[in-house]
Amino acid sequence: MADVLTAAALFILAATAVALFRVLRSGVVAERMMAVQLLGTGGAAALLLLGSASGSAAASDVALLLALFAAFSCVAFVIGAAEPEAEPDPPEERP
Amino acid sequence: MSAVLGIVTIVLVTAGAVLFLAGTLGLLRFPDTLSRLHAISKADNLGLGLIVLGLLPQAASVTGGLKLICVWLLAQLSAATASQLLGRAVYRGRREP
Amino acid sequence: MTGAAAADDLPLTALLGRGLCLLLLWVVMIGPAPADLPFGLVASAAGVWASTRLWPGGGTLSLSGIVRFTLRFLAQSVVAGLDVARRAFAGEPDLRPGFATCRSTIPVGLALDSACAVMSLQPGKLPVSAEADGTLHIHCLDLREAIGAQVAADEAAFRRILGPEPRHG
Repeated sequence: MADVLTAAALFILAATAVALFRVLRSGVVAERMMAVQLLGTGGAAALLLLGSASGSAAASDVALLLALFAAFSCVAFVIGAAEPEAEPDPPEERP
Repeated sequence: MSAVLGIVTIVLVTAGAVLFLAGTLGLLRFPDTLSRLHAISKADNLGLGLIVLGLLPQAASVTGGLKLICVWLLAQLSAATASQLLGRAVYRGRREP
Repeated sequence: MTGAAAADDLPLTALLGRGLCLLLLWVVMIGPAPADLPFGLVASAAGVWASTRLWPGGGTLSLSGIVRFTLRFLAQSVVAGLDVARRAFAGEPDLRPGFATCRSTIPVGLALDSACAVMSLQPGKLPVSAEADGTLHIHCLDLREAIGAQVAADEAAFRRILGPEPRHG
């Protein structure tokens, strides 16, 4: 079982790596940003598989963090790229 | 019983890996940025979902399984938001160059 | 409670419910060790405070609607992934991408934004813009499909979770 899971993890890592290579060479900024999403899902999947294969429960914590960081970075990118009028939020209030 | 569960795991994990391959292929072959975004957000997400589902029978404890589901939920949430936001950014960029 | 302005329109039970859900999530992720619980309580309280800013109540959610919506969503996610996979593996990438415009009947704001986020995981569609009057611009993988009918079905499923709130328009 562990061998199958490890093989699947390596396969997914390879597929993600090819995709990463493709998007990071792209001239479109939003496509380069897809690298974050790729790392979030592909990285999480590979980590979960490796964690299950090796019996280390901590891997799922790292996968959780990866997924979380992927979400945060995409939001940061879009907020940074957006024009002021595109964000109709009220100015933040400070306590 | 555990042999059946083992087969379930292997089938689901393999299917998940195939979907990651599909996401990468779509990314390489689809003609425009937004279509590529479709490819990675949908295929990779289903891939992760299948892998989580496949690993559930192997989870050491109930909380371990719940944590797996949390990873998947969080990834769904982040994929939905991220593809949505990236899509809007690309669209805005197209209309107002 | 603390008298935060944003929390005024939320009953105490709703706040406690949210806090309990967050604490449960914390216990699942970190573990039930008593030494960690104070941190969990602080984190849940912070989460509730943030949620009052981001999701200031308004309208009820229907539980049966949520269940039906979730089942449909899961099935549709599978369809979406397989759909992309089929197109990606085809000898010649099988798609006709383009934009479709349709009018949404979901209330503009948080509800519509959530519906768009959900729709971006459904087969073949990626909402890219929502205007103030509810007009949606959607990028589609295949314009040959009946986009309007699919969007209407998605919206009907989403609307069921919004609860029995009378709305006209």
